[in-house]
Amino acid sequence: MLEIKCPFCGKRSQNEFAYGGDATVKRPALGQEVSTKDWDDFVYFRDNPRGKHSELWHHISGCRQWFKVSRDTATHEIFKTVRLEEEL
Amino acid sequence: MSQSYRTKNINSFLNKSKIINFKFNGESYLGYEGDTLASALIANGIHLVGRSFKYHRPRGFLGVGVEEPNAMVQLHEGDRSEPNIIATEVELVEGLIANSQNCWPSVKFDIGEVNNLLNRFFPAGFYYKTFMWPKSFWMKIYEPIIRRAAGMGVASLTPDPDRYEHNYEHCDVLVVGSGPSGLASALAAANNGAKVILAEDKAHFGGSLLTDEVMINNRPGTEWAEETIKHLKSLPNVILKNRSQVFGYYDHNMTVMFERVSDHIENPSKYAPRQRLHYIRAGEVIISTGSIERPLSFGNNDRPGIFLASAANEYMKIYETLVGKNPIIFTNNDTAYLSAIEFKKNNISPLVLDIRDSSSGDLVKEAQSLGIEVRFSSGVANTKGHLKVNKATIGKLNSSKDSFIDLEEINCDCICMSGGWTPTVHLSSQSGNKLKFDKNIDAFVPDKKKQKETTVGSANGSFTLKQSLEEGFQAGFDLSNLITLKNIKTEVPVSKESKTETHEKIWCMPLPDGENPKRFIDFQNDVAVSDVELAVREGFKSIEHIKRYTTLGMAGDQGKTSNLNGLQQVSNIQKKIVPEVGHTTFRPPYTPVTIGTIVGREVGNHFQPTRKTPTHKWHEENNAVYTNAGLWLRPRYYPRGNESMFEAVNREALNVRKNVGICDVTSLGKIDIKGPDSAELLNRVYTNAWMKLPIGKARYGVMLREDGMVFDDGTTTRLSENHFHMTTTTAQAANVLAHLEYYLQVVWPELKVNVVSSTEQFSGAAVAGPKSRDLMKKLFPNIDFSTENFPFMGVKDAEIVGVKAKIYRISFSGELAYEVNVDSNYGLFMWSEIIKAGEEFGIQPYGTEALATLRIEMGHVSGPELDGRAVPYDIGLHGMVSQKKDFIGKRSLEKLAYNDPERQTLVGLVPVDKKTKIPEGSHLVEDDKVKLPNPKLGHVSSSCWSVEYNNPFSIAVLKDGKNKIGKKLFAVAPLKNISILVEVVPPHYVDPKGERVRA
Amino acid sequence: MQKYSALSLIKNAFSNHQNWDVAWRDPEPKKEYDVIIIGGGGHGLATAYYLAKEHNITNVAILEKGWIGGGNVGRNTTILRSNYMFDPSAHFYEFGMKLWENLSIELNYNVMYSPRGIINLAHSDAQLNAYARRGNSMRLNGIDAVLLNRDEVKKMIPFADFSENSRFPIFGGLMQPRGGTARHDAVAWGYARQADAMGVDIIQNCEVTGFDVSNGKISGVRTSRGDIKAKKVGLCVAGSTTLLADKLNMRLPIESHVLQACVSEPVKPLLDNVVTFGAGHFYCSQSDKGEMVMGGDLDGYNSYAQRGNMPMIQHVLSGGLAVFPNFSRLKMLRSWGGIMDMSMDGTPIIDKTHIEGVYLNCGWCYGGFKATPCSGYVFAHTIAKDEVHELNAPFNLERFHTGNIIDEKGVGPKPWIG
Repeated sequence: MLEIKCPFCGKRSQNEFAYGGDATVKRPALGQEVSTKDWDDFVYFRDNPRGKHSELWHHISGCRQWFKVSRDTATHEIFKTVRLEEEL
Repeated sequence: MSQSYRTKNINSFLNKSKIINFKFNGESYLGYEGDTLASALIANGIHLVGRSFKYHRPRGFLGVGVEEPNAMVQLHEGDRSEPNIIATEVELVEGLIANSQNCWPSVKFDIGEVNNLLNRFFPAGFYYKTFMWPKSFWMKIYEPIIRRAAGMGVASLTPDPDRYEHNYEHCDVLVVGSGPSGLASALAAANNGAKVILAEDKAHFGGSLLTDEVMINNRPGTEWAEETIKHLKSLPNVILKNRSQVFGYYDHNMTVMFERVSDHIENPSKYAPRQRLHYIRAGEVIISTGSIERPLSFGNNDRPGIFLASAANEYMKIYETLVGKNPIIFTNNDTAYLSAIEFKKNNISPLVLDIRDSSSGDLVKEAQSLGIEVRFSSGVANTKGHLKVNKATIGKLNSSKDSFIDLEEINCDCICMSGGWTPTVHLSSQSGNKLKFDKNIDAFVPDKKKQKETTVGSANGSFTLKQSLEEGFQAGFDLSNLITLKNIKTEVPVSKESKTETHEKIWCMPLPDGENPKRFIDFQNDVAVSDVELAVREGFKSIEHIKRYTTLGMAGDQGKTSNLNGLQQVSNIQKKIVPEVGHTTFRPPYTPVTIGTIVGREVGNHFQPTRKTPTHKWHEENNAVYTNAGLWLRPRYYPRGNESMFEAVNREALNVRKNVGICDVTSLGKIDIKGPDSAELLNRVYTNAWMKLPIGKARYGVMLREDGMVFDDGTTTRLSENHFHMTTTTAQAANVLAHLEYYLQVVWPELKVNVVSSTEQFSGAAVAGPKSRDLMKKLFPNIDFSTENFPFMGVKDAEIVGVKAKIYRISFSGELAYEVNVDSNYGLFMWSEIIKAGEEFGIQPYGTEALATLRIEMGHVSGPELDGRAVPYDIGLHGMVSQKKDFIGKRSLEKLAYNDPERQTLVGLVPVDKKTKIPEGSHLVEDDKVKLPNPKLGHVSSSCWSVEYNNPFSIAVLKDGKNKIGKKLFAVAPLKNISILVEVVPPHYVDPKGERVRA
Repeated sequence: MQKYSALSLIKNAFSNHQNWDVAWRDPEPKKEYDVIIIGGGGHGLATAYYLAKEHNITNVAILEKGWIGGGNVGRNTTILRSNYMFDPSAHFYEFGMKLWENLSIELNYNVMYSPRGIINLAHSDAQLNAYARRGNSMRLNGIDAVLLNRDEVKKMIPFADFSENSRFPIFGGLMQPRGGTARHDAVAWGYARQADAMGVDIIQNCEVTGFDVSNGKISGVRTSRGDIKAKKVGLCVAGSTTLLADKLNMRLPIESHVLQACVSEPVKPLLDNVVTFGAGHFYCSQSDKGEMVMGGDLDGYNSYAQRGNMPMIQHVLSGGLAVFPNFSRLKMLRSWGGIMDMSMDGTPIIDKTHIEGVYLNCGWCYGGFKATPCSGYVFAHTIAKDEVHELNAPFNLERFHTGNIIDEKGVGPKPWIG
């Protein structure tokens, strides 16, 4: 079971959290003209690296904050967890 | 024959003052407290326990603990009956009942043994090569026979009456195994102030110290162990757990352990669970799990009476039990001499056959000095004895040890073999540690650590006591010090070392000339040397292929005694060294774990929580039939007298259309939204416009996912300039909240809005029907309910007998309707007040079925339409999509496929005969008689009996639906052999202009 | 090639099985092939087999990083079915079912195809209606499907929880009688043996490290065993798809996730069908060996580790006891994980790519095993003809742009949501 350090609450077991996927995905701004390719890239396409992955987690059974996690997808090791406004 | 195989050892763990009665295969036997089922049976001279998996060969005991591959029994009878229990792991309790398994009619005479006679036709993987023709025979004939022959014990057919619990622990240092290295680790770590958990799988702490004759700190090892355990127990920072096996090592130093709490107790407390699962998150894990003795392969080495030498020793020392009275000890190393010496101490003279040409180890010398006959360069070639070994063919080996020089047959009643020791590296491997091969001990040991795990003692290949104690102690101190930083180092325990000589690198005996007996490697799965040879011959080169083709190491024991011998065999054939052959991956669990233990308390009715509304008690008293809506229990309908569901639902729905009904809508999700940008958030989340919603007004909204699919719908009310009350569907309540939080925190952090779930804060009742206004007037005399002052989608604060309430004029039923919300604590009170006041208006409660009828008649979409695969256009929500502003998912709506002029849309259906109800899940086709596949035009999503028109009505999603109004199609449900001619009508069947809700 | 049969087994028994041929050769890679298939899993092996058999293209190599059949074909729960609602999937998998029915004889290898029926349990009328929609659609597509009521389910699995104590009572179920199981290893080995016999080179311990592409056209691959030229290259690497696609500068609608499965100890025959729980994540069948083979849901975060964590095992088994309370005293023997190539709509991708001569086969999610024959069949067609087969035409990459997605689960592009 993963142990994830919520930047607000501290270390907690995985079952308090919900996964939120790739943290590098950037939603095109509202109202902005966006090409089909760019839009579909945002909705459907993923980097999916083996190794270091920046991802979002949601402390759903805790403070309900979303935050960023740098985790190794091959070993599950977590390198760092930070608040959304911080750099990973 | 009563316990005639007992020794006269007085230092054992048996409590002879407590005699225990037990039954095996219907016969009654006696044993003592402290016995295992295995030791008690052996003490009674019983060796034949079960039959092997494939050939149904008679099998007895090989080991004394978790490594046992053979001695599996069916334990208990009735509800508690349990298959595949290893007899060596069962502590004897009064009245225990065990039976042999995988045999018929009896373990002594098993028809299945015919497989053994024909075993030459059943080599590894034989089933891949045959049973193919004719093809129908596989499923009908061959497979049922194979399935009946396979399997081991019999699963119970009734629910488990026992209870299991879970526990979560954190510690600084978890020590797994309480042998010398584990005790030394725990001691050093505990003395250094660390919070320590010491886990021992067996009933007694001490590991090999309980059976090896050693000296530590100038005292017998047993005494040192006892004292150390006493000391550890006295410390407040140490938890000692016996009968507790750490079976899994997962990510981030999470280990999982099961504890056998009750099975060994004659009358366990009814409050105690049977087993407990511990999730232990440890700062550091010290793996001191010891090692398991390797068997040797020789002809018919699987007969009952053939043991591991260490097991024979342990049976004598711990259980006062003799595995035989005329033993042969067969070894390639020094350690087996311990058993020989122990036999001698019990006045039994064993014959020792040692593959090596000589050894001058201390134990060997001691054995020889006791007058034990030792024959070097010798081995066992074959054995005899159908149900138990009674003869061995033994002989001298040639100089290259690949054949026997001369053979003789001698009598014996047991053979105790030793092929050296395999470190128990399972947990280390599970933690991600790639293992490395240590050629000094011919076994794999842990390599570089991947997590915070450290293996010590014989699990690490450190086979001397000195190494074990020092390694363990050092690890205990160093690792605890990383955490406690206390630097308190106590004295390292000092042992007296004896001299040992190395083992001979031979684990498989040559075949006797002209004979071809099976030499087993994996006893439980009946994998012999010849099977491995065949696999290699057929080109299976990878060890994973060999494992899968032969099933080597895939049985219940997961290869604890067979993996390394299998690898060695492959290495011999392929002329490669073992590390080049590689090894298979160790997977959790270390030993099989009861599923009940893994699941814990989430069983039966507690599988998932049951959510009940504050009004539940009233529903109970009024004969509600419930339906699960997510985790909520919602009244489905309230039958009266002998009413059928159909009658009850129609009555309830009609009463809403004619008078007034009340429905519990508490389970709808509610989200409180506050902040200056709240309207902006809604405007981005919903597909329609929200900026100009007046205070005190509600609006219906639809939200999409970014892929353009409808995600949820509901009404949201503006309570004040910066304060909104959102409702969601029951199903999506939690997801919508997470969705809003995602956009607010991740995507648009600049928006000043806070959202919080208020689902549990309010209890809601929908009051619907033409008489609802009169009822509301009566309930809230101070409120003006005229349409001018309280229009559709209006909201007002009110009080009901002193309780604050909020009244929303919203409607799902399509009738004039109000929804009253109060604090949850007053939910039942409010409901009762409405019912009381409503009597004169003919109020009746209505459940989810009537609610469905009402909304279907109105063409309102719900769960069956919002299936996560529909864009708004698919389900008649065109009007909800703003063209003026951007919102979540809007860009996806531009996709070609969603704008196909023939794209599906929502329609209504009425059967042409006005009688036949169209089953939900039917599909719409032009012609119901064409050859399959029949192209589908759409499907029926929701159906009801229209109480308004007294005929069936459905809504459907239909390709090019808007151009098909008035057309006739077939609604077909081949599953029910139904085809109904239907007419396509607009989806809004009742009150299409929506006059009633606005009345 | 030696023919496998009862007779050959008996004959060889009398020579102590000393005369069996190798099941497949272990050749050195040649300098050049007409087609290289990357990935010696079920799909890769099947593709090579159908290239040789259906298209007479035998100058083919399968390059496998480890040992063949070591990926998901060797670590799945062996379920076969074609109980899909949407037409493209239904037609594709149904074609596959027909291949399964004859596969043992075709491959002269007993893949133990057992049409023992797969039952999806329903726990409410609404769920039964949703299943009816799927079942009716199947029937209209010519696929077998039966709707079962509670009593009919009870007759088939009487030990399931039909008690008052059940949290989510069984209302009925949707059954595909021809659904069932097959022996996973045998499928890989059977295809390998036949492909090898027709001249395909199976090259193990050969990792592809790069591609030679010029002017938008493939000319070969670089491997741990040297460069190999090829006119066409097919990717069949499931969970590792992204790793290879990265080397081709392709970004895909794929995420890799770990899915765990576990088995109980073997017991005597008890459960005859494949059963899926409708109110949680759990499915189960009993293997010929007697083990209960159980699976559930993804661990729920991107992963390339073939190992999962305990909470998901606990979650899945709690679903198991909700259906079969009598399994409580069975023991879990072994658990393991596999890497799933999760596509963003839950449907595979079998298509040509922007590089001439490179073909893509991925996105199998949890369901790749049952697709092995038909995936191999249509992929071989796509490679041989350089055009998609009508069965895999809808499984194109373009659908993520046009909106013709095939979303059976309806949860959108978040594969970790169960």
